[in-house]
Amino acid sequence: MAVDMQMPILIVDDYKTMLRIIRNLLKQLGFDNVEEATDGQMALAKLKSKPFGLVISDWNMEPMTGYELLKQVRGDETLKATPFIMITAESKTENVIAAKQAGVNNYIVKPFPAETLKAKMRAVLGDF
Amino acid sequence: MFGENLSGQIGALVDHLRRRGESSPPNLVEVASVTEVLIATMQAYFRSIDTSIYREFRELSDYIAKARGEIASLRPGDLQNERLPRAGRELEAIVRSTEDATNKIMAAAEAIMAGSPSDPGYSDLVSARCMDIFEACSFQDITGQRISKVVDTLTYIEERVGRLKDALGSGLADEPAHPEETRTGDSALLNGPALDGEGIAQDEIDKLMGEVAPPPAPPAPLAPATKASQADIDALFD
Repeated sequence: MAVDMQMPILIVDDYKTMLRIIRNLLKQLGFDNVEEATDGQMALAKLKSKPFGLVISDWNMEPMTGYELLKQVRGDETLKATPFIMITAESKTENVIAAKQAGVNNYIVKPFPAETLKAKMRAVLGDF
Repeated sequence: MFGENLSGQIGALVDHLRRRGESSPPNLVEVASVTEVLIATMQAYFRSIDTSIYREFRELSDYIAKARGEIASLRPGDLQNERLPRAGRELEAIVRSTEDATNKIMAAAEAIMAGSPSDPGYSDLVSARCMDIFEACSFQDITGQRISKVVDTLTYIEERVGRLKDALGSGLADEPAHPEETRTGDSALLNGPALDGEGIAQDEIDKLMGEVAPPPAPPAPLAPATKASQADIDALFD
């Protein structure tokens, strides 16, 4: 199945520069339909307002972390199938295991090269 | 030590009077002389107590004076009112300047990406934006100087705390290097960026992602405009 390059992608990070970096990387990869949220709560509200094809989220945010967002998404019948990639500076083994067990589809540690984002998105969405 | 002697001496006097009283009652002179001995002994005893207490208090006073001197040399007022707030402002300025520089560099890169190489002015655009990038990179010099100031403050504190510890003696036991973990739940997972040698690399994360048990309900990507077949969906889980 071909990946819908126009699918809405939600990027979540409390650091606006990182949102801008990811947005530009996604644009380079051919994904233009990108929306932003600056914490888990805002992201959850956006996710409930319309379907997204992918969530790319930071972990360490307030008031709702990306990890909590992940758990909320996986616990919601209408959202639980949404692919979720964590991009974070949290690089302890326990973090990766916790995220995996909570249902994350892939995990990228900051800082990351564009190729890593592309490879992980392909692993989650399929070739594009 | 002196207390034991005193007790022995008083005991001996009492025994003497008791023995003397068995044959005939002690006369006034004997009682007076015993009382005189007793008073002299008691005076010596209390003088010794005074001296030892005085010595203890003097040592304590010297210790407190030394500690006060060292605390004063820490210049806590200067630290609290000047150095630490200044260091905080320097760090805030570093955050702001790195963010500004990043935004300028990204704006320049975005402008270059948005330009078309076939446009006649494209070469000038690239040159001008590259100059913007060079200019933005000058933040590194300023942040380097700011970081040096913060490091100076930390060194200042480190030296004086070391002197204070030396002044207070080796009796001060260090707290455990890693106090008992008080964070629980999700907050215990928030550690922030790792330094070199901490945390794990992306390839190790990839390995973990393959090794850890998959989530109970693996997600599927959002279906595009046309409905995906079950086979399409199944293929995504392979």
